[in-house]
Amino acid sequence: MSLVSTHTLARTRWLLGLAAVLLFLVGHAPEAQAQSSSPAATVDMTNTLSFAPDTVRVQAGETVRWTNGSVIVHTVTADPEEATTDESVRLPEGATPFDSGTLDPEERFEHTFEVPGTYRYFCIPHEGAKMYGTVIVTPAE
Amino acid sequence: MTISLPHFFSSSRPFGQRLLRRGAFVLAALALVLMVWAPPAQAQEKMSEKEKQMLAQLQEMNQADGYLEAHRDVQQPMELLGGPLSFTIRQTSGGVFVSLPDNRTLDPDVFGTPDQPLAFTGTPGITGVPVPMRGVSDGQFTQFERMSPFGDKNTTMANGNLMLQATDRTATDAATTEDEVMLKASWEDQDGNTYAIRCCEMLVSAGPEFPTFGGVVTNHILHGFTGIGTPLMPTEYTYAAFWGMGAVLKNGEVVDKPRIVHGMLTEYVRGENYKLVSDSEVTPTRRHFHLMVAPFMPVKGEHKFQPKDVATGFELPNGMELPFWHVMFENLEIESQRGE
Repeated sequence: MSLVSTHTLARTRWLLGLAAVLLFLVGHAPEAQAQSSSPAATVDMTNTLSFAPDTVRVQAGETVRWTNGSVIVHTVTADPEEATTDESVRLPEGATPFDSGTLDPEERFEHTFEVPGTYRYFCIPHEGAKMYGTVIVTPAE
Repeated sequence: MTISLPHFFSSSRPFGQRLLRRGAFVLAALALVLMVWAPPAQAQEKMSEKEKQMLAQLQEMNQADGYLEAHRDVQQPMELLGGPLSFTIRQTSGGVFVSLPDNRTLDPDVFGTPDQPLAFTGTPGITGVPVPMRGVSDGQFTQFERMSPFGDKNTTMANGNLMLQATDRTATDAATTEDEVMLKASWEDQDGNTYAIRCCEMLVSAGPEFPTFGGVVTNHILHGFTGIGTPLMPTEYTYAAFWGMGAVLKNGEVVDKPRIVHGMLTEYVRGENYKLVSDSEVTPTRRHFHLMVAPFMPVKGEHKFQPKDVATGFELPNGMELPFWHVMFENLEIESQRGE
């Protein structure tokens, strides 16, 4: 009897633990997983240290999706505090800085642009190699 | 004739003891280097007598000879000012950049002009680039006319892993050293082959052609105009570097050893499209780690080097084997501390 109880208790704890892990993962999912709508533009991150295409145009309220299609770790960063040169980042007035964090190969990141204007972003480890990209956001029609 | 070093790898004593006390006296005679793939061995054999004479003269003229002579027999070298500095450098995810043979554009700040050339003494590629090996156009040097590991061509490989633990204690070149290095690095090609470097069962406590500071150096400036390491790399602030004897592996099997292994954490010296930049284009605010297995070996009984290709096991598109490893890691975690 005590053996059964112990087993049941252990199983319950295991299931609760699994549920907690799943909840944690959902709660900490990258912005990419949090977005459900299809992106208005997609950008690939390459082995040759470029964002392809290097410039995309979307309307305010639309989303851009970046995919790391390379074997190299990249970031999508439009945060002046992460940049070491002024030319790496440009944000329209009122826009909020964003940063994907480290993106391993095959990982994705999405960002929805609310403020119209021109955004210049970069990859942190390849800032020196001038891995820059641009998003031009026009007012919603 | 190159030196054979099998005994350096047969020790079963603990790492620290193996590292220095034994074989350390031999280091000064062997040691190190870094870099380059200047004239391949076959090309050197085909040299005319005049060219061989020029090569010998350039090696005789090596500017660091006097400095090295004063240090290589020191038995009790001074310790680093402020005490030992230990550091760990890791990469646990992401790929690497692998340099391919290419011609290096010559920076006038480092190499001067045809009328006033600089950086031409020492073993070609190791510490100098002979003027006859330089292209000239419009009164300026253009490029190193031999292929070397120091150019713009590269490829990427997946699953780069790097673990470097090291301590810089000994300040200068000497016959013995208290410096320590443990390096494990690996990466994979697209066919799933794994390449790896292991180092160092022995450090280069004194350099034959340029200083190695006991085998590990921290917070220094290397390459370019400095005369420390090949001038084919830009002058670069170096947070940490080492030179030692290690092994080259493919798919878990040793394919070449002993080989001179050099690693360094420097400011960022690549530009757009991963071009190897000139001195004025270096990015001081970013860093990356370079790992080099040079296609050279020390010449027995002499303070110079001769070309010897590395057996990497990696086949180039033209069917030739890549004759060196020059690998860059850029997704780094770095820790350091003063004291033991």
